[in-house]
Amino acid sequence: MKQDLKKHIDNLMARGATYVDARWYPYEETNSLLMWNGNLKDLSASSQSGVGVRVLYRGAWGFSAASSLEDPAAIFDKALDNARTAAERVDFPVRLAEKDVYQASFTSPNLIDPFTVPLTEKLEFLRMMDAKLNQPGVAQRVAALDFVKKQIIFLDSEGSEIEKTIIDVFPSFQVMGIDKDGEMQARKYKSARHGSTRGWESLDPAYFSSTAERLVRELNQLLVAENCPKDVRSVILLPGIMFLQTHETIGHPLELDRILGYELAFAGGSFVRLEDFGRLRYGSEKLTVRADATLENSPGSFGFDDDGVPAQNNLLIDKGILVGAITGRQMVEEANARARRQIFSGSSGANRATAFYRVPIERMTNINVDPGTDGSLEDIVRGTERGVILDGDKSWSIGSNREQFHFATDIGWLVEDGEVKGVLKNTTYKGDTLKFYNSLSAVGDERTWEVMYVDNCGKGQPNQIMQLGHGVPACRFDNVTVGE
Amino acid sequence: MQHNVIALLKELRAYALQKGLQAAIYYHEEESYLMRFANSAISLNTNEHLVRFQISVFEGNKRADYLTIADPAQIEPIKRGIDTAAEMAGLAEPLSYTPTIPLYEEDVIDMRAFDPFLASTTNAERLEFFNALARGLESEDLKLSGVFSNGITTTAQISTRSEHTQYFACTDAAITAVLSHQTLKWEVNALQSAQAKTDLDPERLRSELAFLVRQYSEQPAVQLPLGKYTVVFGAAAVGDIVDMFNWYGPNGGMMKRGYSFLSEEQLGQQVFSPQFTLVDDPRRLETYPVTRDLMGKRREPFPLFEKGVFKACFWEQDDADEFGAEPTGHTVYHNNFVLAGGDEPAANLEELAALPRDEDILYIPYLHYMNVVNPTAGMFTGSSRFGALLLRKDGTISVPYNVRVTQTFEELFGERLAWLSREQVAHNTSHSYGLRNPRAVVVPRFTCVKDVEISHSNSSY
Repeated sequence: MKQDLKKHIDNLMARGATYVDARWYPYEETNSLLMWNGNLKDLSASSQSGVGVRVLYRGAWGFSAASSLEDPAAIFDKALDNARTAAERVDFPVRLAEKDVYQASFTSPNLIDPFTVPLTEKLEFLRMMDAKLNQPGVAQRVAALDFVKKQIIFLDSEGSEIEKTIIDVFPSFQVMGIDKDGEMQARKYKSARHGSTRGWESLDPAYFSSTAERLVRELNQLLVAENCPKDVRSVILLPGIMFLQTHETIGHPLELDRILGYELAFAGGSFVRLEDFGRLRYGSEKLTVRADATLENSPGSFGFDDDGVPAQNNLLIDKGILVGAITGRQMVEEANARARRQIFSGSSGANRATAFYRVPIERMTNINVDPGTDGSLEDIVRGTERGVILDGDKSWSIGSNREQFHFATDIGWLVEDGEVKGVLKNTTYKGDTLKFYNSLSAVGDERTWEVMYVDNCGKGQPNQIMQLGHGVPACRFDNVTVGE
Repeated sequence: MQHNVIALLKELRAYALQKGLQAAIYYHEEESYLMRFANSAISLNTNEHLVRFQISVFEGNKRADYLTIADPAQIEPIKRGIDTAAEMAGLAEPLSYTPTIPLYEEDVIDMRAFDPFLASTTNAERLEFFNALARGLESEDLKLSGVFSNGITTTAQISTRSEHTQYFACTDAAITAVLSHQTLKWEVNALQSAQAKTDLDPERLRSELAFLVRQYSEQPAVQLPLGKYTVVFGAAAVGDIVDMFNWYGPNGGMMKRGYSFLSEEQLGQQVFSPQFTLVDDPRRLETYPVTRDLMGKRREPFPLFEKGVFKACFWEQDDADEFGAEPTGHTVYHNNFVLAGGDEPAANLEELAALPRDEDILYIPYLHYMNVVNPTAGMFTGSSRFGALLLRKDGTISVPYNVRVTQTFEELFGERLAWLSREQVAHNTSHSYGLRNPRAVVVPRFTCVKDVEISHSNSSY
């Protein structure tokens, strides 16, 4: 099959294409189990295979994909035909940043392939999770396990040939109850990543058990809690919400395709301008952020992106100053040309597609906030006069240029004079992105740092749901509007 | 083509029966085309042809599913999918209820929403459509973005309970056109949803864009003070709100589980304004309907709210099985919601701007990134985007920077609901997540609400 694909790539190059790549998925398998109030609502498996072809012709992209490999030539022809039409309306002819040619492979680290684990064992784990959640005060409980395994073979006209095998495990659970005022309250958890691997062995029953007990306890506290006051206070974001804050207001605005206007028809733009790189004070000096696709236990690590560029660990924000972006080969060339200076020295290896039938676009890898020097969570709380500790992503809504946001969290704890005074429900906070990050006054150390995963990041048209990660510490921001 | 699909489903059914299984087999085929524009160029031109099978195997009160993107010419891998689902069902944890296996009581072929002319739209036509809608509007400062997405979606079903099959095909198109200012960072848009080729009207889009560009270029930009405003929402804003409303509202399963802002006790009561009538209406072709749901139940017009009175909630089969309710024909890929129009004659933006008014009116055509803050309260939030206008009572127009709206559904559709426009439009709510599932909500072109709280106001574009 590989030889056949290479032959078709050569054929399109001979017909005038300036670049061609093919991503062949020999297989992509999933297995999902979801138990709702003890009912196994979802027990499913899926499989798919196919090939996606990307063609650059006279500075324009064409793409085509099909699951049937009976006639691969037709897929290549269609991609070229699509590129020819696109070439009739070109503003900035696509150029690709230089890269090395690789003959390489990558396998995500795992000890036990979850697809070799008997279904009975998976069900036993799920039942254990469900039993832990089945406690007084819990009206609805959901426990879920999702497993993914895929092989991707990447070939391009520059001679790269890269084979990737990715395995991931996504556990999650949530509990819901009705509070004293008749309102629904919930606690949910997408497991933080522990250990250094991504296979079945990453599911630690003891960790899940203790976390489930904590969530049920917190839910019961929520059921009798008072409402979050409308106020201006410090907020201390735990990793269970800091990951999403980072995702929405650092990750997305630093995607270079958004900055260049490629997402304006749908996802939106970015308040960041090309002239901001190296100059914009994004946050206080305590803020250092990196895109680290080498973090071994996270779904934001993949060896090579879908341009065939190796995974990297790059600074995005250095002590508060904006220094980098999330980039692929196409966008860095266009950004440098438009800025009339070299902002980017090459692709940061972040061009990814979610499936063989989707085209690669700039996606977050692991967008991590470096741990700080302000100690443990207890240390941060002790230094907080009037604050609210927040955890759990309940809702999130962000301005189209990522310039402002409104978040609701599952739970909050009131802080007065350095002490936790009680649980709060219906907690919300909002702000302007730059003002918010410039109010960052404390960053927890390694003890507060956790790797959280995102399995539902939507972007692009046709839309693509991507998996990635965020390593984040507990962070305190001052003078934030809460309770609206 | 339908004969091939039906023959394939019958062969798969025969295989399941031969194995002694109780099963349902769902076929989904998409031929998708998408031309995407950015910075006044085509940034991507793509198409995908994908055939999916979902196989559900039932064993008493146990159920398992297998999904595959497969080549229909290769039937053996699909049969292996049936085996896999059967194996999983055997090992599955029993449900506390018995899931209903679909029963198709007659053969159904429904091509009402299929238009062969839209189905055969070419690359050249997609490009010409965009060239036409942008003619004379682009410049060095003003760049065109957008998307022309169209496709054919074919679905079909069979189960082991009968030999009958259901077969549906529809065509759809969704167009978004955006003009964005390169330095000032404002953006205006125009949307169109199509089920047939005759629905495509680039001149209408061009006219809307031209009006908005004129306002954004010539009128002063303002940061709105926080507070309460009389707001006229456009069809996109209300369409997305109605979409979200129905997920958290009159949904039997969500209500039983405590996630809805409505309760069974409210059935038969006046919940919203007498102007608020919402029906799930599978007769409206612009919402890509089917005549039967996935269980084989006939789809009929289903009033949810009549003149503000909560008439009924809808039940999907699995929720109905679990809670002992009667399913309502809503086990579907999507519903067909229609919000009734009112008396206001304004049929386009220029007519709205020309209406006599004794107060300032904030026009918000589109809400970006909506989310539900408090499901029990039915509270949602979202930001304005794309072409908001402040229609001042003195007849002048200003351009507001983006604002945030955080309100409850009751605040929007209750006694503060001032008027609805007579003309309705189909707002396309397709997301293209995963499989192609064209969806649209029919709503009035304009919906006016008093005392809408603006909780955040940007200081620039």
